[in-house]
Amino acid sequence: MDFSETADRISRKFQKSGQTIDPKKIEGKLRRLIEEFGVQPSEAERSVTNDLAKEFNIPQMAPGGGGGKSGGITEPRKIADVSPEEWVTIEGKVVALSAPGSPAIAQSGIIADDSGGIRFVAWAKSNAPAMTVGSWYHIESAVVDEFKGIASLKIHSGTTVKESGNDGALIPSTVPVVNLHTGVGSVRAKVIQEWEVTHDRMLQSGILGDETGTIKFVIWKEAGKEKLAVDSVYNIFYAQVDEFNGRLSLNLNTATIMQDDGDILVSWGIVAVRGALVHIAPGSGIIKRCPVEGCNRALSRQNYCPVHEIQPRFIYDLRIKGWLDDGEKTHNILLQRDVVESLTGITLEAAKEIAENNPLGMDEVFLQMRDRVLGRYITCDGREIDNRLLVNTCDRLTFESSEHAALLNRAGGAL
Amino acid sequence: MSTNAREMGRKEGSFEREPARRVFASELRECRYDFKEGTDEKSPTFVLLPTGERCNRIFIVGTLTEKQRQGDQNIFYRGRVVDPTGTFFIMAGSYQPEAMQQLARIEAPAFVAVIGKPSLYRKDEASTPMVSVRVESINVVDKDTRDLWVLDTAARTLDRIDIFKTSTVPDVIKAKEQYPAIDPAIFRRMAYDALAQIKI
Repeated sequence: MDFSETADRISRKFQKSGQTIDPKKIEGKLRRLIEEFGVQPSEAERSVTNDLAKEFNIPQMAPGGGGGKSGGITEPRKIADVSPEEWVTIEGKVVALSAPGSPAIAQSGIIADDSGGIRFVAWAKSNAPAMTVGSWYHIESAVVDEFKGIASLKIHSGTTVKESGNDGALIPSTVPVVNLHTGVGSVRAKVIQEWEVTHDRMLQSGILGDETGTIKFVIWKEAGKEKLAVDSVYNIFYAQVDEFNGRLSLNLNTATIMQDDGDILVSWGIVAVRGALVHIAPGSGIIKRCPVEGCNRALSRQNYCPVHEIQPRFIYDLRIKGWLDDGEKTHNILLQRDVVESLTGITLEAAKEIAENNPLGMDEVFLQMRDRVLGRYITCDGREIDNRLLVNTCDRLTFESSEHAALLNRAGGAL
Repeated sequence: MSTNAREMGRKEGSFEREPARRVFASELRECRYDFKEGTDEKSPTFVLLPTGERCNRIFIVGTLTEKQRQGDQNIFYRGRVVDPTGTFFIMAGSYQPEAMQQLARIEAPAFVAVIGKPSLYRKDEASTPMVSVRVESINVVDKDTRDLWVLDTAARTLDRIDIFKTSTVPDVIKAKEQYPAIDPAIFRRMAYDALAQIKI
């Protein structure tokens, strides 16, 4: 596919604002979104434009945004294009209202147009008319501010709110999970994991995913809220996207959720790491697991499970926990039984044999495995969850003479 | 998995382990400057490489050519690990019992992979510091692993030399101050020679 035309178009647009951007760089970004993540070309153009605009601090760049910065604050702006510190006028539909967290707030929720949604807060002092979900409003001279990196529209005493004649249906467009950013977002995604509820007020939490990646979600207890079904696909419109500890999370309480019949092949965000195994942690080798259904915890040497106490009828398993180091970063990795067997050449059967007959028992398995893999170069494919790489496949690196030749050229080239 | 375990996992995961840098013996030998990050007693100590990178930990693969047991009360082992450019001096004492036992078992000569912490030590204030590597782990490996390490280390060294030329990161500036007499271009030659020693 040829992206140069689109890249040139974007590049020209930035040239007008006095920024020179290499079309090759733009093309690369487009290619990545379209080919790697299956994003629609028009959406990719928008996304790349916005991205670059943000990078160079240029407001209002996206195509179809009305163009020009001279619009003034009375011309309605597209919601997706407003940015913090601006006075804006918008026309949008209230798609969600949430319980105000303070008496100073009359109403809060999400307002959206066809470009996207934004959180809003109407101050009690603003004396703005109460808005209802599903109606369109013309909001003049509101202020966009930013709290914890999330843009929000503030309706204050100088803002005029009028119900607008518009009653058109609003079909929100969903974005790939990897493209979500803090604020408000819509996705089509599948529930791939449900977690234990950790809080009285929490109804459900877990992981949603699509072809591009995964994200945590949470639903708080509220009248009318229902749990999502694991393995089902949903269209989720106008969820709040928050960030905790550098990770995004979706709060679905504001969202309109519709189940979808289709299926999604979820990408776990496969990463490949190549490096040297610099540490094999205790607890690697052969271990015993709790046989109670659904437990599977590793037992202590005395066959003690932290939940189910002594379990003499344990199940043997293999695993390796360790650090894989590429010289720049060290990755915490976890290898499961089949990967351990193929990497070490020691099968579960063989390990059991050693554990039961060798005087050192399970320690002997640890030592034999360590001696076979510590300090070796390997490459691992897996998914990274909570800073740990769960390895799907793992291979030893082999010496490539082409790599050798390339390095000789590189080192010798400037001698 | 219980939520509790998951949260603990996250905390554990947020800890960033210091990466093991790849460096040839003849570059490491030139180190004269070390520093501590932070004022805490447990703050990590870094040795600054002449090519402008700090290292708290290194990964080396070479030939263990000799090892020696020393001390009566406090037993420790010393060893020499040779790469295509020079010699690393390694040691493991009773504070690293596992590393010491691993080293004790290995008969020289052997290809070994060593993960350890570099440190500078001086006989007295006036003398030139020596760089030695306190072993965290040592293991016998094959020749393939040694060759892979030479490729890896040559690539990393060339990366550092490239960055050194143009970068203004504090560590590079510091290296220029601390090692005014060293032209990193010599390490390009060193990398080339190391690569050339591998038979094609």
